[in-house]
Parts: sequence; C-alpha cells; structure tokens
Amino acid sequence: MIEEPLQFGDGGRLFGILTKAERPANAASDSRIFVFLNAGLLPRAGPHRLHVRIARELAEIGIHSLRVDFAGRGDSLPPAEGPDQRTVAADFVEIMRLLESELGDIEVVLVGLCSGADNAVRLAPQDRRVTGLVLLDPVCDQDPGFRSRALRYSTRALLRKCTTPSKYLPWIKRCMAAMFGTNDDADGSADNLSLRDLPTTEQTRDALTTVRERNGKVLAVFTQYALEYYNQLGQMGDVLELDDYDQFCTERFWPQVEHTYPFEQHRRQLIDAIKSWAS
Amino acid sequence: MHEAFFFGPTDRQIFGVYHPALGIDTGVLTVICPPLLSELNRTHSALRNLAVALAQKGQHVLRFDYTGTGDSHGHLADASMAHWVEDIQISIQEGRDLTGCRAVRVLAVRAGALLACNSVGSQVDIDRAVLWDPIASGTEYLSTLDREQASVIDTHHYLSRAEQAQVSSEYSIYGMSAGMLSDIKAINSGVYQAIDAKKFRVVCTSSAGQFPVENATEVVVPFECYWETKIDGVVFSQPVLEQLLTGLTAA
Repeated sequence: MIEEPLQFGDGGRLFGILTKAERPANAASDSRIFVFLNAGLLPRAGPHRLHVRIARELAEIGIHSLRVDFAGRGDSLPPAEGPDQRTVAADFVEIMRLLESELGDIEVVLVGLCSGADNAVRLAPQDRRVTGLVLLDPVCDQDPGFRSRALRYSTRALLRKCTTPSKYLPWIKRCMAAMFGTNDDADGSADNLSLRDLPTTEQTRDALTTVRERNGKVLAVFTQYALEYYNQLGQMGDVLELDDYDQFCTERFWPQVEHTYPFEQHRRQLIDAIKSWAS
Repeated sequence: MHEAFFFGPTDRQIFGVYHPALGIDTGVLTVICPPLLSELNRTHSALRNLAVALAQKGQHVLRFDYTGTGDSHGHLADASMAHWVEDIQISIQEGRDLTGCRAVRVLAVRAGALLACNSVGSQVDIDRAVLWDPIASGTEYLSTLDREQASVIDTHHYLSRAEQAQVSSEYSIYGMSAGMLSDIKAINSGVYQAIDAKKFRVVCTSSAGQFPVENATEVVVPFECYWETKIDGVVFSQPVLEQLLTGLTAA
C-alpha cells in the first residue's frame, strides 16, 4: 500500500489522501477507485477512523481509494461562501479531475455515511464515471407498514430496557417520536435528520437509476439510527420501485449497530461487508 | 497554506501537516499534540484553525497524528505507549529540521498533555507547554474512557444481551491492547512535575485548581465540551482558541 497526501483544486484548496494498492487485483480493479466523502463535520478519517481502516483493507485486496475533505472540512480550505450543495458539486469536479490525472481512466465508487450518503446520491448522476455507491444510513421514505413495525421494535427494545430503569424516560421519549413522527427537542439534543440536507426520493431514485444504467452497483446499509425512517430489509427497494433493484442493489439492515460504528465488532462487520461487496 | 506529508520510521509513518510561518518569522515552532481516540476527530477543526492563526502570527506549526490514530500508519491495537511518546519526540525533531527553529512550544490537548509531558520531560528542551483540559493521570484517563464507553452503551438500544456483554468488557470499544491499557494506567501526574511550572499555561473549560502542578498559570474559559458524552460532536469554542493562542504567542 502506498499513501500519498494530495493538495489539489485552485491554489491547492482541497485535500485528500490517495491510497494505492501495490498490486491491483485485476485490470478492472486498477481503474476502480473508492472515494470516501466527509461524514457531517468530521474530517476524512471518518468516525472512529472508519474510512482509514476501509481504505487500507481495500488496498490489501487490490483496490485504490481516496479519502477527501470537501471545502471547509478537515484540511481543505473553507469556501468563500457555504459550504453547501453548490460548493460540494464544484469540489467533486476537482476530485474527478485529480483522479483522472493520477490514475487515467477511472470508475468511481462513492462512499458516504450520513450526510456523506446524501452528497453521494446527489453527485452520482453528475459524472458518468461514478459506477458504484456505498450508502451508510441514506435517507429512505417510510413505507405503509413502517409505523406498526416501529411499534414492534419499540416493544422489543423496551423489554431489554427493563433491567436498566435509568434509561426509561429518554428512551420512551425517542420511541414516541419515532412512532408518531414528532421530534421532541426538549432534552436539548437536535434531531439527527433535521441536521442533514436530505436528497429527495426522486434524487435517490435518479442516482440509483444512473448507477444501474452504467452497469454499476449499490450497497445500502441501515443501522439503528435509521429506525426513525427504515425498519425492514428491502424497504428501500419497495419505496423506490426500480426495475431489477435486487440485481444491482444490496441492502443491509443492522438495527443493533450504531450510526457511527463506535464498537470494534461493528466496524469489522462493515469493513467485511464492503470488501465482500467490492470483490 | 500548509503542507501534508508522512515522516518518521519507514515501518511506522507518521502523518503530519506543516503550517509555515506567514509574515514576520518569529523563529518559534509549535508542535500540536492532539488528544486521542474520538477526541482527535472532535478537535480536528479547532486545532487546524489554531495552527492557521499561529502561522499568521509568525510561528511555524506542525500537527501530527499518533501511530494507529488519524491518518498515521498502524492499527490502534498494535500501537504502544512507547510509540506515542516517540512520535512526539520525532515530530519535534522533524519540525526543528524543517524550520531550523530552536524555540519549541507544545500545545497539547486532554490525554495528549500527559503524553507530551511524558515525552518531553527532561529529554527535550521546550520553552512553553500550553495545555487544553489536560488529563491529570493515566488512571483518570481510563476512568474517562470508562464513562465514555458507558455513555455510548447507554444510547444503544438494540444490542443483544450477548453483544451487550461483549461491548461492556473493559474498554472494548477502543480496541487498545492490554499492554497499552496498563501503560496508560502507569502514567501518573509526576510527568507534569518534571517540567518547570513556569513553562505551563493551562486552559481549562470547567474549573481551575485541578492541574497537579502548583504555581502553573491556569485560565478558566467556561465552555461545555461534553468530552465524555458526545463522542461524535465537534468541539469548537472561539474563546478557548483565543486563550490557547494567547498562551502560545504572549511574550
């Protein structure tokens, strides 16, 4: 594995680290590169160093990657205005230009957690070289059975909570919010989804359709965080109603896993899932 | 304006970012020793901004990630206290080689303060150590990690009983080796005593009087960092940064 810090864009305003596999697995993997997008305000290493770990393990199986900071994140300079969708789109043009100059003909897999997934969805249709998406807790519409399943989940979790009374009140509050679609902010914690600049369902459908048309594929992983809007394997496919969905999109539903993967065994689970999907 | 690069031993490359002095060069090098684990990500933006501000005041600044953390090489599970202590010494030397500065200041955050003072001790001549919410001892740091882990488990509602037992074991969420944990435990507040009290500027966000060196200069900037509870939140406080900047630049 060779890692190279790169400053690029006008006046070197953007920053990323390119991880090159020493021995690409085959000609196809030599042109394929995973690009890790910032998760929220966090720098390119990702929550609990997740992006670094995935990048280096992908290199071990012959796949290149770039973990990048958008303008105003990590070690990239802040934009004159924003950051917002417009600056992210401009940064993406620079990222693709850089990758082309470093690696020639490329096929890109965008990897994003939380707002990173939102950006990946919006960026995918913009460049024909994006042929894959790894979406970690992307947004998804609720389907007709969502509320009744939410009640089942809440009951099951309540039984587990019986041994820890100190958790009752805040937990019940969160369950009520999920069941009735309210976002009670009285405890001072901001609602997670309201902090995200969410893509529309149409944008998600568009992103997945373009990836399918490019003969690419998608991995979507939903964790405990997504229980506010997703609680059944296959829900995303049901909501989007895309042809051949199961042929190009792999959904994973891990309600026992926390959004930012703070536990090592869950990080391992994700890394293995991505490696297996990528191979 | 900065330059990112890997340096140090070929089998254990350290990731660093160098911010050259802008304008009038004061001939001072500040090495930023970040905190560990989740606090590294949480303070990244604040420490980057501080580095930029110091460079604008004519200081050379080197930021780095410890072995097995951030973008540096290695796995946390394989990292040792000896690596981290050496990383600081290597970074100071790298900064000196890059800049030719003789005057070295250290800015260290949380457990980074313990490491920095352990590393610098009597071996490296520094003319100032500015510490942000320093952890008093290794034992205190492990208690902090305990509470942080408990807080993560607390907010985790859907773990199976088996998983709950697994993640509740000692510091399991960090994936540090037993050797590292025992090395951390062994660091006591004596590492601070080895440095002349006059060299310290301590910036606390809670209350003063907790730093274990008498006569060290302490400043309190009330700010709730939620070090142990909001492990994914970004810590950014302009008043804290201003105090750190003052501590590092004042005559």
